[in-house]
Amino acid sequence: MTLLVTGGSGCGKSAYAERVMEAVAPGEKVYIATMRADGEEGARRVARHRLQRAGKGYRTVECPLDLCRAGVRDGEAVLLECLPNLVANEMFDGGDVSRILPALRALAGGCRHLVIVTQDVFCDAERYGASTRAYMRALAALNAEAARLCDSAVEVVYSIPVVLKGEDPCASSARCASR
Amino acid sequence: MRLYIGGAYQGQLELARAENPGAAIHADFQETIRGVIARGEDPRSYAGALCEAEPEAVIVSDEVGCGIVPLDAGDRAWREGVGRALCVIAQRSERVVRAVCGIGTVIK
Repeated sequence: MTLLVTGGSGCGKSAYAERVMEAVAPGEKVYIATMRADGEEGARRVARHRLQRAGKGYRTVECPLDLCRAGVRDGEAVLLECLPNLVANEMFDGGDVSRILPALRALAGGCRHLVIVTQDVFCDAERYGASTRAYMRALAALNAEAARLCDSAVEVVYSIPVVLKGEDPCASSARCASR
Repeated sequence: MRLYIGGAYQGQLELARAENPGAAIHADFQETIRGVIARGEDPRSYAGALCEAEPEAVIVSDEVGCGIVPLDAGDRAWREGVGRALCVIAQRSERVVRAVCGIGTVIK
């Protein structure tokens, strides 16, 4: 099962993605964390996500750059959170955005289950500077590629999953306790 | 509870009025959350209390979380707070409608 999860800020993407993971892989699984916990707000966010995952069998791999070095083994169940951070790190922190897509393809090919969390950052009226626009273009292209290579794509709208492609893996699973 | 959401001016308020004649409608809920945060309250707790106090209420909000994450910490907290509060309300709602171009899609 491969799934792309998108949505806006604070819409419950992570909670939904974790529900899916619990349903498809109740045992051991891998969490690929791409966020650098800079500052108090970042640390708080990381702490909240850690608490959300505690006791659910996750092995956490910190991977802010170069996704192909996350050290995931074939057949593992993987939650990747999240593309916007990864793209920002690769783009603005001395990395290389072009290495993300091959790494996603390798993950999708090798993992038993893969859930990729991304974010919709494309619907505001602001005309941003060139570097932000380049970032948006790169993320949009990767979102589209990820949706293409995943079985399913779901937009989470204030905790409600809206299916964009395929099916909601939670809808067909008795394990997927609704909140 | 009933929830009507959409981008700015997408017709969520008009849909809410048309589908719920005579109901108490909380319009511009995203601005209510601005006040909640300014008072130092937690948006989620506020939303939970509102659901308890007015289980028949109709909530109307703009979706404000789908842009580039703002540089300003206060703007970030507001956008995220609107999202968290609306998650609480969506969970407690028997009907959630998303408006685009004046057309409502029932997502719950």
